[in-house]
Amino acid sequence: MGKILCATRGGEAAVRAQETAIGLAKDRGDALLFFFVVDTDFLQRSVAAVRPDIVQAELESMGEFLLAVAQERAQKQSVEAEIMVRSGYLRDELLTAIRKEDVTTVVLGTPTGPGSVFVLEGLQALAEGIADESGVKVVIAGSQNDEEQG
Amino acid sequence: MRPLTNGASACLFALTLVAVLFVFRPWEPHFAHANQSAPPAPALTGRVLDPQNQPVRGAEITVYVNNDEFEELDAESQGDGSFMVTLNALPDTPFESLRLEILRSHFAPQSWTAGPRELAALRDGQSVHVPDIALERQVTAGFWVATAVFVAMLFIIALERLHNTMASLLSMAVIFGVSFVGGALTHDLFIFDFERSLEYVDFNVIFLLLGMMVVIGITEETGIFQWLAYQAYRISRGRAALLVIILMSITAVASALLDNVTTMLLMAPITLQIAIALDIDPLSLLLPEVMASNIGGISTLIGTPTNILIGSYAGIGFSGFLVNLTPGVLLALAALVGYVLLRYRKQYQGAGSDLSPALLKRLEEGGRIRQPDSLRKAGVVFAAMMALFIFGEDFHLVPAVTALIGAAALLLWVNPDIERMLKVVDWTTLMFFITLFIVIGAVQEVGLIGLIAGALKSATGDSLLIGVLVLVWAAAILSGVIANIPFTAAMLPVAGFLTSTIPGAGNQVLFYGLSVGSAMGGNTSLIGASANLVTAGIAERAGYPITFRRFVSVSLPAMVITVAVGTLWLLIRFSLLIPGG
Repeated sequence: MGKILCATRGGEAAVRAQETAIGLAKDRGDALLFFFVVDTDFLQRSVAAVRPDIVQAELESMGEFLLAVAQERAQKQSVEAEIMVRSGYLRDELLTAIRKEDVTTVVLGTPTGPGSVFVLEGLQALAEGIADESGVKVVIAGSQNDEEQG
Repeated sequence: MRPLTNGASACLFALTLVAVLFVFRPWEPHFAHANQSAPPAPALTGRVLDPQNQPVRGAEITVYVNNDEFEELDAESQGDGSFMVTLNALPDTPFESLRLEILRSHFAPQSWTAGPRELAALRDGQSVHVPDIALERQVTAGFWVATAVFVAMLFIIALERLHNTMASLLSMAVIFGVSFVGGALTHDLFIFDFERSLEYVDFNVIFLLLGMMVVIGITEETGIFQWLAYQAYRISRGRAALLVIILMSITAVASALLDNVTTMLLMAPITLQIAIALDIDPLSLLLPEVMASNIGGISTLIGTPTNILIGSYAGIGFSGFLVNLTPGVLLALAALVGYVLLRYRKQYQGAGSDLSPALLKRLEEGGRIRQPDSLRKAGVVFAAMMALFIFGEDFHLVPAVTALIGAAALLLWVNPDIERMLKVVDWTTLMFFITLFIVIGAVQEVGLIGLIAGALKSATGDSLLIGVLVLVWAAAILSGVIANIPFTAAMLPVAGFLTSTIPGAGNQVLFYGLSVGSAMGGNTSLIGASANLVTAGIAERAGYPITFRRFVSVSLPAMVITVAVGTLWLLIRFSLLIPGG
């Protein structure tokens, strides 16, 4: 039995990625882990008194909530899922989680639009990098034909 | 009571020392005694002014008697442009002529020659008042360098090529480099020396920000913002329209009392969760919230960094903003609520709550008070600070001192890890303001601000109504393109000049207009205010990106409506709609 890690957030694109991951877990009988990374780099844009530790805690709490919603979505389809929130850079945290959790497949969502931190090319590069470095299969979900790397 | 650690004691001592230094300001020269005593010898007094009739500080006055220079009689113009040359070292031989040479960087040299009447009076031991000496501006290479650096800094900040502080620090370094290295090669490149540059740094602003950072740092870990947001959700019972009104009210009030960036940083994550709970687009709650926070901050001196700048420069206290702007802010918020309800009516009507008990519990946990004891104490200190902000004006207690006293009281009473608390002071922001003041000082020194002020005066003439309209709307529109803090800092001397030259502007309406325009103008675009950017950052991380276009499509009409209401309020409040009022 393998383990699927679904790096996700909220929004429509994330729901598509979650559904893909839930479908894969159901088909393969794999364990499912929903994963959220808190990155507070955007605080650099502010000119005010900002406590990064407090903001990080709030974002972690928000991440747990978003993942709990995904967890319920999986439960409704009879798939038990775990959740994990980490703080740092997405790529580094993904690789760490893949190693520690013995992940066999990673599911990533497609860019959510022009305001997304990822453009599709960037996401593909990320997926290829993760696949090369960790040897796991990476699925970019959300498009009509889910793309697989690795 | 637990004894404080050495580090804590040192920090408290430093804070107290800062407060004492700030009250007595030993670095500021005191001329009062010199001016009070009558000169023992005849004197020449006068004023040095720039082309806009504004006082020129630091002009060197050299005295020539019988065409010989008398270095011992040299004088320098003060902050109000005044100078006094005491003729206590004149030659024994009767003098036939007396001439003053006035030299000041970035101005053409000017001279004044005593006529027969003045000479006769001086020979009789009488003092003479010289007519105002108007200096002509000289556009030097330093002017172009300072201007280019200032414009580049605005672009770099707007395009987010560098962190704000890095951009202003780099700009300051270039200005000093050119002024010192280039100025040594050719005086044409000289901008100002280090001592003069420090005169442009407003320590009232720096210490007020520092004190408020500590207060905010303690308040934000209590969980009050999240609790308020959750209560809004609970009270509204799934009625999204009511929820958004409550959330907008909370963010507006919190922004007025603390600051809008902190408010949005702590409100946005739980707002997102509430929106998901109600199954509505989170942006239909987040965008109204951030717009309300940009407007709410205008009500008080401490609500926005721009108000802190304006209040310190124009001498407007806490109650000045409260009395003159709060009604306008309430009207603008009411108009904003109307706009939001109309804009998102379909979203709000479709709201429904089918949250599972587990998720509801999680939401409830996120919205609880984390440190009730700290919150109670912080509330007491904060109430005392508000009283001092308002009534302290009667005994000349400057807001910065109130903020520092409040910060010290909170650190002592709430007694958190003091070293950790002092780490939360955002030194990069303080550095941003210090370096920004110096960069703005450079463009003021070389005459760019004077040119802008002169052009604006030509455009508005003596009409206060036109002056208010131009200032409010220019500030509102430009704040959407360039960062509103440097913009406001640069516009302060302009508003000051217009205030001193337009009849009837002594009521500070132009400064209030600048406040309304620059803060409400934060809603013009995504880059218009720091609160917008951090909200977009949080929304993006939650999977709900706020694009520039999407933000503008919602916020631009809101900006036009609220600035129109704000302008109308100013015109009513300061009787500018009544002819001759």
